[in-house]
Amino acid sequence: MITTEVTFDELAALMKQAAGITVDPEELKDAAESPFDSFGLDSLGLLGIVGELENRYGASLPPDSERCRTPREFLNLVNSTLTAGA
Amino acid sequence: MSKRRSGRAAVTGIGVVAPNGLRTDAYWKSVREGLGVLDLITREGCEHMPLRVAGEVRSFDPAALIEDRFLVQTDRFSHFAMAAAALALDDAGLGGEPADPYSVGVVTAAGSGGGEFGQRELQKLWGKGSKYVGPYQSIAWFYAASTGQISIRGGLKGPCGVVASDEAGGLDALAHAARAVRRGTDVMVVGAAEAPLAPYSMVCQLGYPELSTLDDPDRAYRPFTEKACGFVPAEGGALLVVEDEGRARERGVPVRGVVAGHAATFTGASRWAESREGLAHAITGALDEAGVAPEEVDVVFADALGMPEADRAEALAIADALGAHGTRVPVTAPKTGFGRAYCGAPVLDTVAAMLAMEHGLVPPTPNVFDVCHDLDLVTQHARPAELRTALVLSRGLMGSNAALVVRRGDDSAR
Repeated sequence: MITTEVTFDELAALMKQAAGITVDPEELKDAAESPFDSFGLDSLGLLGIVGELENRYGASLPPDSERCRTPREFLNLVNSTLTAGA
Repeated sequence: MSKRRSGRAAVTGIGVVAPNGLRTDAYWKSVREGLGVLDLITREGCEHMPLRVAGEVRSFDPAALIEDRFLVQTDRFSHFAMAAAALALDDAGLGGEPADPYSVGVVTAAGSGGGEFGQRELQKLWGKGSKYVGPYQSIAWFYAASTGQISIRGGLKGPCGVVASDEAGGLDALAHAARAVRRGTDVMVVGAAEAPLAPYSMVCQLGYPELSTLDDPDRAYRPFTEKACGFVPAEGGALLVVEDEGRARERGVPVRGVVAGHAATFTGASRWAESREGLAHAITGALDEAGVAPEEVDVVFADALGMPEADRAEALAIADALGAHGTRVPVTAPKTGFGRAYCGAPVLDTVAAMLAMEHGLVPPTPNVFDVCHDLDLVTQHARPAELRTALVLSRGLMGSNAALVVRRGDDSAR
Protein backbone atom coordinates (compact mmCIF):
# COMPACT_ATOMS: atom_id res chain seq x y z
CA MET A 1 0.00 0.00 0.00
CA ILE A 2 1.36 3.37 -0.92
CA THR A 3 0.68 6.70 0.61
CA THR A 4 2.37 8.89 -1.97
CA GLU A 5 2.31 8.86 -5.73
CA VAL A 6 5.31 8.27 -7.96
CA THR A 7 6.53 11.76 -8.80
CA PHE A 8 8.52 13.30 -11.59
CA ASP A 9 11.42 13.46 -9.14
CA GLU A 10 11.26 9.72 -8.60
CA LEU A 11 10.88 9.03 -12.31
CA ALA A 12 13.92 11.20 -13.10
CA ALA A 13 15.95 9.32 -10.48
CA LEU A 14 14.82 6.00 -11.94
CA MET A 15 15.77 7.09 -15.46
CA LYS A 16 19.26 7.77 -14.14
CA GLN A 17 19.50 4.55 -12.15
CA ALA A 18 17.98 2.13 -14.65
CA ALA A 19 19.00 3.67 -17.95
CA GLY A 20 21.85 6.07 -17.22
CA ILE A 21 19.87 9.06 -18.42
CA THR A 22 20.37 12.37 -16.67
CA VAL A 23 17.29 14.55 -16.78
CA ASP A 24 16.28 17.44 -14.57
CA PRO A 25 12.96 16.59 -12.79
CA GLU A 26 11.58 20.05 -13.58
CA GLU A 27 12.38 19.64 -17.26
CA LEU A 28 10.79 16.21 -17.20
CA LYS A 29 7.66 17.72 -15.70
CA ASP A 30 7.59 20.58 -18.21
CA ALA A 31 8.02 18.19 -21.11
CA ALA A 32 5.76 15.49 -19.70
CA GLU A 33 3.92 15.09 -23.01
CA SER A 34 7.15 14.55 -24.98
CA PRO A 35 7.96 10.99 -25.99
CA PHE A 36 10.46 9.07 -23.83
CA ASP A 37 12.64 8.81 -26.97
CA SER A 38 13.29 12.52 -26.81
CA PHE A 39 14.98 12.05 -23.42
CA GLY A 40 17.04 9.18 -24.82
CA LEU A 41 15.06 6.49 -22.99
CA ASP A 42 14.51 3.35 -25.07
CA SER A 43 12.02 0.55 -24.55
CA LEU A 44 14.44 -1.58 -22.51
CA GLY A 45 15.13 1.40 -20.27
CA LEU A 46 11.41 1.83 -19.60
CA LEU A 47 11.08 -1.89 -18.95
CA GLY A 48 13.84 -1.58 -16.34
CA ILE A 49 11.98 1.28 -14.64
CA VAL A 50 8.76 -0.77 -14.57
CA GLY A 51 10.65 -3.66 -12.96
CA GLU A 52 12.23 -1.39 -10.37
CA LEU A 53 8.85 0.16 -9.45
CA GLU A 54 7.25 -3.28 -9.17
CA ASN A 55 9.98 -4.39 -6.79
CA ARG A 56 9.88 -1.14 -4.85
CA TYR A 57 6.09 -1.12 -4.33
CA GLY A 58 5.54 -4.87 -4.30
CA ALA A 59 2.84 -4.53 -6.94
CA SER A 60 2.37 -5.68 -10.51
CA LEU A 61 2.02 -2.99 -13.14
CA PRO A 62 -0.11 -3.64 -16.24
CA PRO A 63 1.62 -4.78 -19.45
CA ASP A 64 0.69 -1.44 -21.02
CA SER A 65 2.95 0.43 -18.61
CA GLU A 66 6.08 -0.52 -20.54
CA ARG A 67 4.44 0.65 -23.75
CA CYS A 68 3.65 4.18 -22.50
CA ARG A 69 5.02 6.82 -24.83
CA THR A 70 5.34 9.81 -22.52
CA PRO A 71 6.20 10.51 -18.86
CA ARG A 72 2.68 11.86 -18.24
CA GLU A 73 1.02 8.79 -19.71
CA PHE A 74 3.36 6.52 -17.72
CA LEU A 75 2.87 8.25 -14.35
CA ASN A 76 -0.90 8.39 -14.81
CA LEU A 77 -1.06 4.67 -15.47
CA VAL A 78 1.39 3.75 -12.72
CA ASN A 79 -0.26 5.93 -10.09
CA SER A 80 -3.79 4.85 -10.97
CA THR A 81 -2.70 1.22 -10.71
CA LEU A 82 -0.87 1.67 -7.43
CA THR A 83 -3.71 3.72 -5.91
CA ALA A 84 -6.35 1.25 -7.08
CA GLY A 85 -4.45 -1.59 -5.48
CA ALA A 86 -4.16 0.28 -2.18
CA MET B 1 30.56 7.54 -53.10
CA SER B 2 34.07 8.23 -54.30
CA LYS B 3 34.68 8.84 -57.97
CA ARG B 4 38.14 7.34 -57.83
CA ARG B 5 37.65 3.89 -56.35
CA SER B 6 40.84 1.91 -56.16
CA GLY B 7 39.31 -1.38 -55.08
CA ARG B 8 41.82 -1.49 -52.24
CA ALA B 9 40.78 -1.43 -48.59
CA ALA B 10 42.86 1.15 -46.75
CA VAL B 11 43.16 1.56 -43.00
CA THR B 12 42.83 5.26 -42.19
CA GLY B 13 42.06 5.18 -38.49
CA ILE B 14 43.42 3.23 -35.51
CA GLY B 15 41.99 3.06 -31.99
CA VAL B 16 43.78 0.99 -29.37
CA VAL B 17 42.77 0.02 -25.84
CA ALA B 18 45.48 -2.39 -24.73
CA PRO B 19 47.17 -3.45 -21.49
CA ASN B 20 50.38 -1.76 -22.67
CA GLY B 21 48.82 1.44 -23.98
CA LEU B 22 45.50 3.24 -24.04
CA ARG B 23 46.20 5.02 -27.29
CA THR B 24 47.96 4.08 -30.50
CA ASP B 25 51.13 6.04 -29.79
CA ALA B 26 51.44 4.65 -26.25
CA TYR B 27 50.80 1.12 -27.55
CA TRP B 28 53.44 1.44 -30.26
CA LYS B 29 56.00 2.84 -27.83
CA SER B 30 55.50 -0.17 -25.52
CA VAL B 31 55.56 -2.64 -28.41
CA ARG B 32 58.67 -1.08 -29.93
CA GLU B 33 60.50 -1.16 -26.59
CA GLY B 34 59.37 -4.70 -25.87
CA LEU B 35 57.82 -3.59 -22.61
CA GLY B 36 56.38 -6.40 -20.52
CA VAL B 37 53.20 -5.46 -18.65
CA LEU B 38 51.96 -8.91 -17.70
CA ASP B 39 51.17 -8.95 -14.00
CA LEU B 40 49.21 -10.68 -11.27
CA ILE B 41 45.49 -10.33 -11.81
CA THR B 42 43.93 -7.70 -9.57
CA ARG B 43 40.38 -7.48 -10.89
CA GLU B 44 37.72 -7.94 -8.21
CA GLY B 45 36.76 -11.52 -7.44
CA CYS B 46 39.58 -12.95 -9.55
CA GLU B 47 42.48 -12.97 -7.12
CA HIS B 48 41.94 -16.49 -5.79
CA MET B 49 41.78 -18.26 -9.16
CA PRO B 50 44.43 -20.68 -10.41
CA LEU B 51 44.88 -18.38 -13.40
CA ARG B 52 47.26 -15.87 -11.86
CA VAL B 53 48.85 -13.74 -14.56
CA ALA B 54 47.22 -11.73 -17.35
CA GLY B 55 47.37 -8.49 -19.28
CA GLU B 56 44.92 -6.14 -17.56
CA VAL B 57 43.87 -2.84 -19.06
CA ARG B 58 44.50 -0.64 -16.06
CA SER B 59 43.76 3.07 -15.75
CA PHE B 60 40.89 2.75 -18.21
CA ASP B 61 38.12 5.01 -16.96
CA PRO B 62 34.98 4.20 -18.94
CA ALA B 63 33.01 7.03 -17.34
CA ALA B 64 35.47 9.56 -18.75
CA LEU B 65 35.03 8.22 -22.29
CA ILE B 66 31.48 6.92 -22.59
CA GLU B 67 28.09 8.41 -21.78
CA ASP B 68 26.17 7.02 -18.78
CA ARG B 69 23.33 5.63 -20.84
CA PHE B 70 25.78 3.45 -22.78
CA LEU B 71 27.67 2.44 -19.63
CA VAL B 72 24.53 1.27 -17.84
CA GLN B 73 23.50 -1.08 -20.61
CA THR B 74 26.86 -2.54 -21.67
CA ASP B 75 29.64 -4.81 -20.47
CA ARG B 76 33.30 -3.91 -20.13
CA PHE B 77 34.08 -5.54 -23.50
CA SER B 78 31.74 -3.06 -25.18
CA HIS B 79 33.22 -0.18 -23.17
CA PHE B 80 36.61 -1.05 -24.66
CA ALA B 81 35.13 -1.40 -28.15
CA MET B 82 33.20 1.87 -28.01
CA ALA B 83 36.24 3.76 -26.73
CA ALA B 84 38.50 2.23 -29.40
CA ALA B 85 35.96 2.91 -32.18
CA ALA B 86 35.73 6.57 -31.20
CA LEU B 87 39.52 6.85 -31.17
CA ALA B 88 39.72 5.21 -34.60
CA LEU B 89 37.05 7.46 -36.12
CA ASP B 90 38.75 10.56 -34.69
CA ASP B 91 42.09 9.34 -36.02
CA ALA B 92 40.54 8.97 -39.47
CA GLY B 93 39.11 12.49 -39.30
CA LEU B 94 35.60 11.02 -39.17
CA GLY B 95 34.59 11.92 -35.61
CA GLY B 96 31.11 13.30 -34.99
CA GLU B 97 27.90 12.65 -36.88
CA PRO B 98 28.48 11.02 -40.27
CA ALA B 99 27.33 13.07 -43.27
CA ASP B 100 25.61 9.98 -44.64
CA PRO B 101 24.81 7.51 -41.84
CA TYR B 102 24.18 4.71 -44.34
CA SER B 103 27.70 4.99 -45.72
CA VAL B 104 29.38 3.75 -42.52
CA GLY B 105 29.11 0.18 -41.26
CA VAL B 106 30.47 -1.74 -38.28
CA VAL B 107 31.82 -5.25 -37.90
CA THR B 108 33.40 -6.70 -34.77
CA ALA B 109 34.61 -10.11 -33.75
CA ALA B 110 33.90 -11.51 -30.30
CA GLY B 111 35.15 -14.53 -28.46
CA SER B 112 32.93 -14.58 -25.42
CA GLY B 113 30.71 -11.51 -25.09
CA GLY B 114 29.98 -9.70 -21.86
CA GLY B 115 30.71 -12.16 -19.06
CA GLU B 116 30.96 -9.68 -16.22
CA PHE B 117 27.59 -8.04 -16.92
CA GLY B 118 25.99 -11.45 -17.42
CA GLN B 119 27.33 -12.77 -14.15
CA ARG B 120 26.03 -9.77 -12.23
CA GLU B 121 22.51 -10.17 -13.59
CA LEU B 122 22.46 -13.95 -13.17
CA GLN B 123 23.51 -13.50 -9.55
CA LYS B 124 20.46 -11.27 -9.13
CA LEU B 125 18.37 -13.99 -10.74
CA TRP B 126 19.28 -16.70 -8.26
CA GLY B 127 19.98 -14.34 -5.36
CA LYS B 128 16.83 -12.21 -5.45
CA GLY B 129 14.56 -13.50 -8.19
CA SER B 130 13.69 -12.98 -11.83
CA LYS B 131 12.10 -9.59 -11.22
CA TYR B 132 15.48 -8.20 -10.23
CA VAL B 133 17.21 -9.00 -13.51
CA GLY B 134 17.65 -5.82 -15.53
CA PRO B 135 16.35 -5.79 -19.11
CA TYR B 136 19.76 -4.89 -20.55
CA GLN B 137 20.85 -8.42 -19.70
CA SER B 138 19.05 -9.30 -22.94
CA ILE B 139 21.68 -7.46 -24.99
CA ALA B 140 24.79 -6.73 -22.91
CA TRP B 141 26.30 -10.23 -22.70
CA PHE B 142 25.69 -10.93 -26.37
CA TYR B 143 28.50 -11.37 -28.91
CA ALA B 144 26.86 -8.72 -31.10
CA ALA B 145 26.62 -6.09 -28.36
CA SER B 146 29.71 -4.10 -29.31
CA THR B 147 28.79 -3.83 -32.98
CA GLY B 148 25.29 -2.71 -32.02
CA GLN B 149 26.42 -0.14 -29.47
CA ILE B 150 29.14 1.33 -31.71
CA SER B 151 26.52 1.65 -34.43
CA ILE B 152 23.92 3.26 -32.14
CA ARG B 153 26.38 5.57 -30.40
CA GLY B 154 27.88 6.83 -33.66
CA GLY B 155 24.62 6.87 -35.63
CA LEU B 156 26.18 4.45 -38.12
CA LYS B 157 23.54 2.75 -40.28
CA GLY B 158 25.60 1.02 -42.95
CA PRO B 159 26.09 -2.75 -43.15
CA CYS B 160 26.78 -4.19 -39.72
CA GLY B 161 27.89 -7.62 -38.64
CA VAL B 162 29.56 -9.74 -36.01
CA VAL B 163 32.08 -12.46 -36.64
CA ALA B 164 32.03 -15.26 -34.09
CA SER B 165 34.74 -17.50 -35.47
CA ASP B 166 37.08 -17.99 -32.55
CA GLU B 167 40.19 -15.92 -31.86
CA ALA B 168 41.12 -15.83 -35.55
CA GLY B 169 37.82 -14.01 -36.06
CA GLY B 170 39.70 -10.78 -35.43
CA LEU B 171 41.34 -11.23 -38.82
CA ASP B 172 38.15 -12.57 -40.41
CA ALA B 173 36.39 -9.35 -39.34
CA LEU B 174 39.05 -7.27 -41.09
CA ALA B 175 38.54 -9.31 -44.26
CA HIS B 176 34.78 -8.88 -43.92
CA ALA B 177 35.20 -5.10 -43.66
CA ALA B 178 37.58 -5.01 -46.62
CA ARG B 179 35.01 -6.89 -48.72
CA ALA B 180 32.24 -4.51 -47.64
CA VAL B 181 34.39 -1.57 -48.76
CA ARG B 182 35.19 -3.24 -52.08
CA ARG B 183 31.46 -3.79 -52.59
CA GLY B 184 30.81 -0.08 -52.21
CA THR B 185 30.37 0.84 -48.54
CA ASP B 186 32.31 4.05 -47.94
CA VAL B 187 33.63 3.34 -44.47
CA MET B 188 33.77 0.34 -42.13
CA VAL B 189 34.59 0.47 -38.43
CA VAL B 190 36.12 -2.90 -37.66
CA GLY B 191 37.98 -4.79 -34.98
CA ALA B 192 37.59 -6.56 -31.68
CA ALA B 193 37.94 -5.93 -27.97
CA GLU B 194 37.49 -8.45 -25.20
CA ALA B 195 37.06 -8.45 -21.42
CA PRO B 196 37.83 -11.98 -20.26
CA LEU B 197 39.15 -11.02 -16.82
CA ALA B 198 36.08 -11.34 -14.61
CA PRO B 199 35.21 -14.25 -12.29
CA TYR B 200 32.72 -16.13 -14.47
CA SER B 201 34.75 -15.54 -17.63
CA MET B 202 37.92 -16.71 -15.91
CA VAL B 203 36.27 -19.90 -14.70
CA CYS B 204 35.23 -20.60 -18.29
CA GLN B 205 38.86 -20.36 -19.36
CA LEU B 206 40.26 -22.56 -16.62
CA GLY B 207 39.38 -25.65 -18.62
CA TYR B 208 41.67 -24.69 -21.51
CA PRO B 209 44.74 -26.92 -21.40
CA GLU B 210 46.60 -24.15 -23.28
CA LEU B 211 46.19 -21.65 -20.44
CA SER B 212 49.38 -20.78 -18.57
CA THR B 213 48.85 -20.94 -14.84
CA LEU B 214 52.36 -19.86 -13.87
CA ASP B 215 52.42 -17.02 -11.35
CA ASP B 216 55.63 -15.39 -12.61
CA PRO B 217 54.74 -12.67 -15.13
CA ASP B 218 58.15 -12.89 -16.83
CA ARG B 219 57.92 -16.66 -17.35
CA ALA B 220 54.23 -17.34 -17.84
CA TYR B 221 54.11 -16.76 -21.63
CA ARG B 222 57.22 -17.77 -23.54
CA PRO B 223 56.26 -19.24 -26.91
CA PHE B 224 58.86 -20.80 -29.22
CA THR B 225 61.08 -21.73 -26.26
CA GLU B 226 61.58 -25.01 -24.44
CA LYS B 227 59.96 -23.35 -21.43
CA ALA B 228 56.72 -22.72 -23.30
CA CYS B 229 53.84 -23.54 -20.95
CA GLY B 230 50.79 -22.03 -22.54
CA PHE B 231 49.42 -18.56 -23.15
CA VAL B 232 48.44 -15.67 -20.93
CA PRO B 233 45.09 -13.98 -21.61
CA ALA B 234 44.60 -10.26 -21.92
CA GLU B 235 41.76 -7.79 -22.14
CA GLY B 236 41.34 -4.94 -24.60
CA GLY B 237 41.76 -4.79 -28.35
CA ALA B 238 41.64 -2.41 -31.26
CA LEU B 239 39.19 -0.94 -33.74
CA LEU B 240 40.17 0.32 -37.16
CA VAL B 241 38.60 2.50 -39.81
CA VAL B 242 38.73 0.94 -43.28
CA GLU B 243 37.74 2.72 -46.48
CA ASP B 244 38.55 2.62 -50.17
CA GLU B 245 42.06 3.87 -50.77
CA GLY B 246 40.92 6.20 -53.54
CA ARG B 247 38.41 7.77 -51.19
CA ALA B 248 41.09 8.17 -48.51
CA ARG B 249 43.36 9.93 -51.01
CA GLU B 250 40.51 12.22 -52.01
CA ARG B 251 39.91 13.11 -48.37
CA GLY B 252 43.63 13.71 -47.99
CA VAL B 253 44.06 11.45 -44.97
CA PRO B 254 47.11 9.25 -44.41
CA VAL B 255 46.76 5.59 -45.33
CA ARG B 256 48.17 3.53 -42.46
CA GLY B 257 48.08 0.23 -44.30
CA VAL B 258 46.20 -1.74 -46.94
CA VAL B 259 44.32 -4.94 -46.18
CA ALA B 260 45.55 -6.91 -49.17
CA GLY B 261 44.71 -10.57 -48.61
CA HIS B 262 43.08 -12.99 -46.20
CA ALA B 263 42.20 -16.63 -45.90
CA ALA B 264 40.84 -18.80 -43.11
CA THR B 265 40.74 -22.52 -42.44
CA PHE B 266 39.55 -24.84 -39.68
CA THR B 267 41.40 -27.81 -38.24
CA GLY B 268 39.61 -28.67 -34.99
CA ALA B 269 39.77 -27.66 -31.35
CA SER B 270 43.18 -28.00 -29.69
CA ARG B 271 44.44 -30.17 -32.56
CA TRP B 272 47.64 -28.21 -32.80
CA ALA B 273 49.63 -30.61 -34.97
CA GLU B 274 46.87 -30.37 -37.58
CA SER B 275 46.94 -26.58 -37.37
CA ARG B 276 50.21 -26.74 -39.33
CA GLU B 277 48.41 -27.70 -42.50
CA GLY B 278 45.48 -25.36 -41.83
CA LEU B 279 47.65 -22.36 -41.11
CA ALA B 280 49.88 -23.04 -44.14
CA HIS B 281 46.77 -23.14 -46.33
CA ALA B 282 45.56 -19.88 -44.82
CA ILE B 283 48.91 -18.22 -45.49
CA THR B 284 48.98 -19.40 -49.10
CA GLY B 285 45.41 -18.26 -49.63
CA ALA B 286 46.08 -14.84 -48.17
CA LEU B 287 49.22 -14.37 -50.28
CA ASP B 288 47.29 -15.45 -53.40
CA GLU B 289 44.53 -12.96 -52.77
CA ALA B 290 47.09 -10.22 -52.16
CA GLY B 291 49.10 -11.16 -55.24
CA VAL B 292 52.18 -11.39 -53.04
CA ALA B 293 54.98 -13.92 -53.53
CA PRO B 294 56.33 -15.67 -50.40
CA GLU B 295 59.69 -13.85 -50.75
CA GLU B 296 57.89 -10.51 -50.63
CA VAL B 297 56.77 -11.06 -47.03
CA ASP B 298 58.99 -8.76 -44.97
CA VAL B 299 57.78 -9.64 -41.46
CA VAL B 300 55.52 -12.22 -39.83
CA PHE B 301 53.44 -11.48 -36.73
CA ALA B 302 53.10 -14.95 -35.28
CA ASP B 303 50.14 -16.43 -33.46
CA ALA B 304 52.61 -17.65 -30.80
CA LEU B 305 50.28 -19.78 -28.74
CA GLY B 306 52.98 -20.91 -26.34
CA MET B 307 52.29 -24.68 -26.37
CA PRO B 308 55.29 -26.63 -27.70
CA GLU B 309 53.16 -28.61 -30.15
CA ALA B 310 51.36 -25.49 -31.37
CA ASP B 311 54.58 -23.48 -31.70
CA ARG B 312 56.16 -26.29 -33.71
CA ALA B 313 53.10 -26.43 -35.99
CA GLU B 314 53.26 -22.69 -36.56
CA ALA B 315 56.99 -22.68 -37.34
CA LEU B 316 56.46 -25.54 -39.78
CA ALA B 317 53.42 -23.86 -41.35
CA ILE B 318 55.48 -20.73 -42.01
CA ALA B 319 58.15 -22.89 -43.64
CA ASP B 320 55.57 -24.89 -45.61
CA ALA B 321 53.96 -21.75 -47.01
CA LEU B 322 56.99 -19.49 -47.46
CA GLY B 323 59.62 -22.10 -48.32
CA ALA B 324 63.23 -21.27 -47.49
CA HIS B 325 62.17 -17.65 -46.98
CA GLY B 326 60.24 -18.86 -43.95
CA THR B 327 63.42 -19.42 -41.98
CA ARG B 328 64.92 -16.05 -43.00
CA VAL B 329 62.01 -13.66 -42.65
CA PRO B 330 61.86 -11.81 -39.32
CA VAL B 331 59.11 -13.21 -37.11
CA THR B 332 57.81 -11.46 -34.02
CA ALA B 333 55.14 -11.81 -31.33
CA PRO B 334 54.78 -8.55 -29.39
CA LYS B 335 51.82 -10.07 -27.53
CA THR B 336 54.20 -11.95 -25.19
CA GLY B 337 54.59 -8.58 -23.48
CA PHE B 338 50.90 -8.01 -22.78
CA GLY B 339 48.97 -11.23 -23.43
CA ARG B 340 46.44 -12.59 -25.86
CA ALA B 341 43.22 -10.61 -25.96
CA TYR B 342 41.39 -13.41 -27.79
CA CYS B 343 39.72 -11.86 -30.89
CA GLY B 344 41.40 -8.56 -30.02
CA ALA B 345 44.85 -10.16 -30.27
CA PRO B 346 45.20 -10.44 -34.06
CA VAL B 347 43.73 -6.95 -34.48
CA LEU B 348 46.36 -5.56 -32.09
CA ASP B 349 48.94 -7.51 -34.13
CA THR B 350 47.62 -5.92 -37.32
CA VAL B 351 48.01 -2.50 -35.71
CA ALA B 352 51.56 -3.37 -34.67
CA ALA B 353 52.26 -4.59 -38.22
CA MET B 354 51.12 -1.30 -39.77
CA LEU B 355 53.12 0.73 -37.26
CA ALA B 356 56.16 -1.49 -37.78
CA MET B 357 55.98 -0.79 -41.54
CA GLU B 358 55.41 2.92 -40.90
CA HIS B 359 58.49 3.11 -38.65
CA GLY B 360 60.70 0.58 -40.44
CA LEU B 361 61.15 -1.38 -37.24
CA VAL B 362 60.33 -4.98 -36.35
CA PRO B 363 59.32 -4.93 -32.66
CA PRO B 364 60.71 -7.62 -30.36
CA THR B 365 59.09 -10.58 -28.60
CA PRO B 366 59.30 -9.76 -24.86
CA ASN B 367 60.35 -12.43 -22.34
CA VAL B 368 61.48 -14.81 -25.09
CA PHE B 369 65.19 -15.61 -25.32
CA ASP B 370 66.20 -19.11 -26.38
CA VAL B 371 64.19 -19.93 -29.47
CA CYS B 372 64.02 -23.66 -30.13
CA HIS B 373 62.48 -23.54 -33.64
CA ASP B 374 63.93 -22.76 -37.03
CA LEU B 375 62.62 -19.19 -37.07
CA ASP B 376 64.29 -15.81 -37.11
CA LEU B 377 62.35 -14.63 -34.09
CA VAL B 378 63.13 -11.02 -33.19
CA THR B 379 63.90 -10.84 -29.48
CA GLN B 380 65.10 -8.25 -26.95
CA HIS B 381 65.39 -5.21 -29.24
CA ALA B 382 63.48 -3.87 -32.21
CA ARG B 383 65.22 -4.52 -35.50
CA PRO B 384 65.36 -1.82 -38.20
CA ALA B 385 64.17 -3.09 -41.59
CA GLU B 386 62.52 -1.81 -44.74
CA LEU B 387 59.05 -3.30 -44.45
CA ARG B 388 56.45 -3.22 -47.22
CA THR B 389 54.44 -6.36 -46.59
CA ALA B 390 53.44 -7.96 -43.30
CA LEU B 391 51.80 -11.30 -42.64
CA VAL B 392 49.63 -11.60 -39.52
CA LEU B 393 48.73 -15.07 -38.23
CA SER B 394 46.08 -16.14 -35.78
CA ARG B 395 44.70 -19.39 -34.43
CA GLY B 396 41.85 -19.98 -32.06
CA LEU B 397 41.54 -22.55 -29.31
CA MET B 398 38.50 -23.97 -31.07
CA GLY B 399 40.39 -24.68 -34.29
CA SER B 400 40.18 -21.62 -36.53
CA ASN B 401 43.27 -20.50 -38.42
CA ALA B 402 43.58 -17.24 -40.34
CA ALA B 403 46.21 -15.24 -42.17
CA LEU B 404 46.10 -11.60 -43.22
CA VAL B 405 48.43 -9.78 -45.59
CA VAL B 406 48.81 -6.07 -44.87
CA ARG B 407 50.81 -3.76 -47.09
CA ARG B 408 52.37 -0.47 -46.18
CA GLY B 409 50.09 2.44 -46.87
CA ASP B 410 52.39 4.78 -48.71
CA ASP B 411 53.61 1.99 -51.02
CA SER B 412 50.28 1.28 -52.57
CA ALA B 413 49.79 4.95 -53.31
CA ARG B 414 52.48 4.85 -55.94
